[in-house]
Amino acid sequence: MISKDDVKNLAELARLKLKDGEIESLQKDISNILGYVGQISSFSAANKGEEKPTLRNVLREDAPRADNDPMANKQEVLLQALPRREGNYNVVRKIIQKD
Amino acid sequence: MDDLALLSIAEASKKLALGEITSVDLVRAVKARIDAKNGDLNIYLEVFDDIEEQARLADARRAKGEKHPLLGIPLAIKDNILIEGRRASAASKILGNYTAGYDATVIKKLKEAGAIFIGRANMDEFAMGGSTENSAFGPTKNPIDESRVPGGSSGGSAAAVAAHMAQAALGSDTGGSIREPASFCGLVGLKPTYGSVSRSGLMALGSSLDQIGPLTHTVEDAEIIFNTIRGMDALDSTSAPTDLYPKKQSTKKIGVPRHLFVEGVDSDVLQKFNASLEKLKAQGYELVDIELPSAPLALAMYYIIMPAEASSNLARFDGVRYGEALVGDSLFDDYAITKGEGFGPEVRRRIMLGTYVLSAGYYDAYYGKATLAREKLAKEFADALADVDVIATPTAPTPATKLGEKSDPLSMYLLDVFTVTANLTGNPAISVPMGTVAREGKELPVGIQFTSAHGDEASLFTVGKLLA
Repeated sequence: MISKDDVKNLAELARLKLKDGEIESLQKDISNILGYVGQISSFSAANKGEEKPTLRNVLREDAPRADNDPMANKQEVLLQALPRREGNYNVVRKIIQKD
Repeated sequence: MDDLALLSIAEASKKLALGEITSVDLVRAVKARIDAKNGDLNIYLEVFDDIEEQARLADARRAKGEKHPLLGIPLAIKDNILIEGRRASAASKILGNYTAGYDATVIKKLKEAGAIFIGRANMDEFAMGGSTENSAFGPTKNPIDESRVPGGSSGGSAAAVAAHMAQAALGSDTGGSIREPASFCGLVGLKPTYGSVSRSGLMALGSSLDQIGPLTHTVEDAEIIFNTIRGMDALDSTSAPTDLYPKKQSTKKIGVPRHLFVEGVDSDVLQKFNASLEKLKAQGYELVDIELPSAPLALAMYYIIMPAEASSNLARFDGVRYGEALVGDSLFDDYAITKGEGFGPEVRRRIMLGTYVLSAGYYDAYYGKATLAREKLAKEFADALADVDVIATPTAPTPATKLGEKSDPLSMYLLDVFTVTANLTGNPAISVPMGTVAREGKELPVGIQFTSAHGDEASLFTVGKLLA
């Protein structure tokens, strides 16, 4: 069983504010699920790197999208989705604060 | 047939081509069903107000000589697929008011074909679940038995087709989210080869697992939609050219990994499965026992890899760029409150689980191991499929479960035991109806799943059509 402190620490790492009582329920659920997926430890990793997946390079020109590109000229539409906008700026909270 | 809503795509398309019916007639027929039952079943989160207008445009295109099997055909679209100018919420509060700024590539292709989008189909929030009970907007009921779930996460898409509120639907499948609801609702559901259908405009859950695919009444209809939406796309760098995989010669053999269902599958489901295999045998297929030694670990691999990818993908919902943005006392609080309030319990659980398996002390034991095991599993599937056309299993171990029955998350995850493998290996897989089993006096549908080699959807369609 993972501890309450583990759950709190995970929530902090995940930037999640938990609800009342959720620490206890997550403690139980996550422990159950980890108990199940922990079977993976029985897999022998002796053949590490033996199976190579099919990989391809995917490259494109470093150029603005052509006008007939479906994603061209989408700036305004994407800006409209911003929660807080001033002109063409996304307004965000100051990240570096003085102590 | 009087009720046009009951027509398959192929049937409706033929009548449209002959001028016997119009797309407006079709749309009115499905709308009548929606008006009668959508309130009870909670299938569509939104029915678009311009469906007749869309149908008139399709009829006008046909009058000008255009032809396509999907021209004028009503479709339901899962709520995690973007349609420009329309809302898209992935059934989450965090995107409750989000409007899509562009078309998903599959939507662009369907628009070019002339399909009609009826509305946004309900789903498990961010496609996390197997019952559609995790929707922030309430569960969808199974049209065949309203006390039961339609499956998930594409449960709204499946229910829309089963309740004849659209001729077919698009869903997405990360661990069985098209095939399991297809099984529970008596439909055909296809999870195409990884990379065969562009995911541009699909909200990501597990990026190494996700594929978009059709839910339909017939195998032929699934083929029509697949052929329309497939293809390489510059906007999805994981999409692959259609000729990436060499064409396979049929061996007329079906591989059956019986070691995977010696226990845990309902006995009447297994009976239907065996009966379907006998049907295929009678039509010239040879049944071969195969072993997939790593497959018993597939579910464990999946419930490590998927939450790891989900927790990374969902980090983007931070209230900075789009979606719900709540303000707290600090930057940290802004994030934590937005995510804490915006995401439902199952999403929070999977983010926590993903964060755990990716954290420094546990990475090797979970994610590292799962990745290696996954490669082994893919190799075992490839080896088996070198000798057989398809591998057959039941799609799910049971028929549709009761609403609220699987309240423990782990018991819900266990329903995915046969479907997660194809997502882990990237192989295409299809669920096709194999009859019904009786539960509490109701006949409930169950599906048989076939998996084939990468790029070999053709074998799935060939075998699937023999069971019709």
